[in-house]
Amino acid sequence: MKRALPVLILTVAGLVPVWRHAPADEAPATAAPAPAPTVSTVPGGTTRVVAGPSVDTEKGAVQVEVTLDGDRITGVRMLRQPDHPQTTAAVPTLIEETLEAQSADVDTVSGATVTSDGYRESLQAALDAQGS
Amino acid sequence: MRRVEHVMGFPVSLRVDDEDFPAAAADGLFAWLREVDARFSPFREDSEVCRLDRGELDPDRLSPHLTEVLGLGERYRTATGGAFDVRLPGRRLDPCAVVKGWSVQKGAELLRAAGARRFCLNAGGDVVAAGGPWRVGVRHPEHAGRLCAVVPLTDGAVATSARYARGDHILDGRTGRPSTGLLSLTVTAPTLTEADAVATAAFALGADGVPWAAALPGCELFAVTADRRVLRTPGFPADGSGQVAA
Repeated sequence: MKRALPVLILTVAGLVPVWRHAPADEAPATAAPAPAPTVSTVPGGTTRVVAGPSVDTEKGAVQVEVTLDGDRITGVRMLRQPDHPQTTAAVPTLIEETLEAQSADVDTVSGATVTSDGYRESLQAALDAQGS
Repeated sequence: MRRVEHVMGFPVSLRVDDEDFPAAAADGLFAWLREVDARFSPFREDSEVCRLDRGELDPDRLSPHLTEVLGLGERYRTATGGAFDVRLPGRRLDPCAVVKGWSVQKGAELLRAAGARRFCLNAGGDVVAAGGPWRVGVRHPEHAGRLCAVVPLTDGAVATSARYARGDHILDGRTGRPSTGLLSLTVTAPTLTEADAVATAAFALGADGVPWAAALPGCELFAVTADRRVLRTPGFPADGSGQVAA
């Protein structure tokens, strides 16, 4: 499990510069053994989906696909991964979103409310007052 | 039944929806949390933690609870390569970050043993819920009165670590300096023991903590980075959270 994670991070980190510097007509890199990543553009947007090269690990081949908005990674998907339960569980996929402020009907609030002052101004205080 | 008490330096809110839930059982929960504070606070000179730190306790003959707490601290120190450490160099032994989640989870189990089936226990912003549906808001890191996500929860735990609470109070044990890569990090897990320790440990790791926590089985996370982006796992059970960046 601990081995799969660095592989993924290195693979993803390696993809971004590859995509940035890989216009279609660029000369092949010197003696690159891995197949070139495939890039597809979603119509009507700046989002690109890039499939990275397959990387051999001691547990098997790993290949990821990242979705990019400009230079930002907005999604990661495994195309190939070793058929091993630990590896499957260890693959982290992250979705990027915009930070939004909202108000909503909730029962309780999670937040690092450490001090009494913080509590007084917090939503949880309002909820406790409402229910008592 | 609803109760709010200040214990261990933060407000603890309890809501039990089961009819005729005995008040004595709620008293038992708060008594347990006060006992934990007396025994494990690094700010009470006569606590087990302070006595161990001063060399007054035989490390081979510690109470089972203290042994459990130190074991949890060691587990997350190892898992984070030392970023999370209850024994930071030059500082006193401070297991607060594991004691909180562990003790509140144990408190929730006391409630369950006393017959509570539908309850919500919120200890300073860390939540154990049972018998849902419950809706747990995640505080917006920049606006105390607003939310940035809502987590529907049936049975489980939600914990948040953030810079807004006490400023840069979580140190990266690898450098000894405040961890500043994230504004806030919220973790859901089956137990608060795990959710709270993972949230604090991942926060100490900074930006590295996001993929680290995302890879832990049973944990889902919602992180707000220092540049105000949200990174979350696909399984993070958020209702109406931020829009997926197009």
